[in-house]
Amino acid sequence: MLRTNRDRLVEIAVGGEVWPAASRSPYRPNALGVAKIFMGTAGVILNARVGDPAYGWAADHVEPAVSIRNREDGPEHALHYLACIGNGAVMTSGVAKGARGVVTGEHAHILVDFPRDVLEKICIGDQVLIRAIGMGLEMLDYPDISVRKMSPELFDALRIEELGHGRIRVPVAAEIPGYLMGSGAELGADYVDQDMMTNDRETLAALGLDNLRIGDILAVRDHDHTVNRGYREGAITIGIINHADSFMTGHGPGVMDLLSCAMPKIEPVIDKRANLAVYLGIGNHDWADERRKLA
Amino acid sequence: MIETNEDRVITMSVMGVVISPSYPGIPAIPHQIDREGKPRLLPALGGIVYNVKVGDSVYGWAGDMIEPGVAIKAPDPAANEALNVFACVGNDAVVMSGNATGARGIVTGKSGRFAEHVIIHFATEILDQLAFGDKIVVHARGVGLAVNRFPGIYLKSLSPLLFDRLRLEENDGKLTVPVTAIVPPELMGAGAGLTSEGGAICIQSMDTAALARHGLDKLRLGDVVAITDYDSSYGHGYKKGSVSLGVVSATDSIRAGYGPGVTLLMTSPGGELDPLIVEGINIVNLLDVEARA
Repeated sequence: MLRTNRDRLVEIAVGGEVWPAASRSPYRPNALGVAKIFMGTAGVILNARVGDPAYGWAADHVEPAVSIRNREDGPEHALHYLACIGNGAVMTSGVAKGARGVVTGEHAHILVDFPRDVLEKICIGDQVLIRAIGMGLEMLDYPDISVRKMSPELFDALRIEELGHGRIRVPVAAEIPGYLMGSGAELGADYVDQDMMTNDRETLAALGLDNLRIGDILAVRDHDHTVNRGYREGAITIGIINHADSFMTGHGPGVMDLLSCAMPKIEPVIDKRANLAVYLGIGNHDWADERRKLA
Repeated sequence: MIETNEDRVITMSVMGVVISPSYPGIPAIPHQIDREGKPRLLPALGGIVYNVKVGDSVYGWAGDMIEPGVAIKAPDPAANEALNVFACVGNDAVVMSGNATGARGIVTGKSGRFAEHVIIHFATEILDQLAFGDKIVVHARGVGLAVNRFPGIYLKSLSPLLFDRLRLEENDGKLTVPVTAIVPPELMGAGAGLTSEGGAICIQSMDTAALARHGLDKLRLGDVVAITDYDSSYGHGYKKGSVSLGVVSATDSIRAGYGPGVTLLMTSPGGELDPLIVEGINIVNLLDVEARA
């Protein structure tokens, strides 16, 4: 029995509005110095959703489905820090009022997945309320392992297995070596994500990391994110891909922190079904086959 | 003598003012969280630093990412970006107002995201005369500098003066460059994915055993270091076979992902830089910092 303090977690509402895509400079250099114009973050993305490929989109840092933020700085940070992956969201204004969605990540905006028919009814500026629960979640018998940004539902879905002697096993879609972790090292581990670095496509392919999906659960080797994000040999961090790839040097799919330990007490085991869309049955597919095999 | 386009490089004044360190206000929780999760209150980025100087150790100070000497910044964000990009390590700086008017210093590095300062060395007696708001002009010279026979090597924040003194040698189609130490890619942290035209990138110092294994536990401010498998042509990021060169410009940090700050000087995505470890390669000696400022 994996003991947690879930019965003591506080469920609290946070909210924002559907945020428009904005273009800063129209041109940015890619890793080879070629000026590119690409779609970027925010907006309502109708086609790229959690469970879909993290690579190949004709865009940069695509945030799947709906991006929301709050206009006021304080409530905006409440949204960032309190919203957890797997939390329920509800449209509270506009044509889609009453429709229900699921938080899938935190990046420049909070990312919420809704069914396709709902996505078509959502307008920029529509209000979204999130029932935030998950901050403060702890694994009571594993004080060395930090827990972040997870709803109790996602925590349960991860299929964590207790191995004894303070160790756990977690299914992951892939393992990332520490040297591929890039942009986001300068930020606190409780805030947004750290990008994988994907300019070096040969290395990526050699490591089998060129077919990742948005929502994949991953292990990062030799990274201790228990406090902030940094390199420590033997440490291990479990994360989730929140946004798609980038053409900019030092960037790539974003990895949000879920579990971390400064010591080798988390054992990852490869399982390609380890993806948020499969676990929660959201995104562009119903994942019926994968979900049956999980059960 | 490695030929460059030095005679076509522009010399241009950019200006900043001496700035104060700054901390967040109410509710008065100004701590940085260290690697073990402990809140600690220490002097940090910015200000006039009297007792930490280029040439000193980066480790052991009761401070977080201390900029030796004087940190300057332009009040207007666009002008500050020009200052941060155009100023080059080795450029002359001149005090243009206040008690030290006319005094000369030398640019030794830059800071990155959350600080965006240019770091300048002045002699101790000049530091004693400086005050916040004093205007300092940098005779910025180096942006656009290129190596004639190596178009695949990009130069950044590198004055022609320092370029000439790096003791570069052409060998078998590569430029050999003496460095104090070589940093592996897994130790590069905060700064990855951010601009390489200015700012800095940290050598992560949380894993002290890894630091020692790579001879990085004795670094000094001003040391010239190489970074392997890192391409900083357009931002900093991992790319196997790339080699970059930088100068250590700020002290160590207590934070995970952070550590001594490096101002990037050269990068070769094709691996045309060949670093060679030689003890004591530091801009204090290469630029005669003590004699010039």
